[in-house]
Amino acid sequence: MTTSDAIVQLQQQQAYTVQTLRAMLEGQWTGAPPSAEALLLAINPTLAPLQTVDYLLISEQEELGPDWWEYYDPNEPMPRQTASWTCSACSLAWVERSIHVNGAADEWSAVEEIGSPENINPTYGLMNGSGVELQRVLLESYGVPSSQGWLNFDQAYAIYSTTAGCMSGGNWYHWVGVRGVDGYGNLWIANSAPSYQGIYDTLSRDDFNRLGPFSCVWLEH
Amino acid sequence: MTDQDYTDQITQLQAQQALTVQALVAALAGRWQGEASVEAYLYAIDPGLQGQLSPNPPVVQSQ
Repeated sequence: MTTSDAIVQLQQQQAYTVQTLRAMLEGQWTGAPPSAEALLLAINPTLAPLQTVDYLLISEQEELGPDWWEYYDPNEPMPRQTASWTCSACSLAWVERSIHVNGAADEWSAVEEIGSPENINPTYGLMNGSGVELQRVLLESYGVPSSQGWLNFDQAYAIYSTTAGCMSGGNWYHWVGVRGVDGYGNLWIANSAPSYQGIYDTLSRDDFNRLGPFSCVWLEH
Repeated sequence: MTDQDYTDQITQLQAQQALTVQALVAALAGRWQGEASVEAYLYAIDPGLQGQLSPNPPVVQSQ
């Protein structure tokens, strides 16, 4: 190889190297040209096969949404409800405050989010007892996914040992937030009507069976 | 091509190589944009890239 040929080869390699850096800066790490992977193999084919990883890019970061679990405060206070029909709204507002997606949430902001009078009103309270409208608000307004099920006590205890949510008993006719479990075999709740049906801050297995069936909504994380 | 031409080309390649190494150092340190960043070194290597780049860097852990 002549000096001239060597210089030309170096210039080509330098050009590929610059293109590789550009591909990295622009988030094209792997795959077909002009990815960094393809350009490195063009510079030196003996590097194949390259071991690669998938990076999280700036453009993808916001799509993930906030990880509410990092900010969850199970001790978030629950004020008393000021109307007889707003327990579900109080529960939703408590969830929003406890996971820090809406620190200003209260009974009436939640009534508005749920949608009054079509989804919640003074005559019937929350119209759909499954809690689907609460789930809708959490997902559409705050990007927080949740699940719902009619659970027995053991199922509810297992789930709320790992996450928060809210639930309603069919024979209680009352929604509460669920902070978690209390370490003594009870569900730890955020109750906007303490003393109603003899329940304050916890719900035992016997209470659960007496006041159910329970529709349980729990947050995914 | 004269010896001086070869010398000039090699000098330019050496300068580009030094900037490329600095760009790789910046990438390793997570400096993709701003002062002494991958983007800045690419402009230094090839001023023709000004206005041509569309940065979409990886998210570093501290972000």
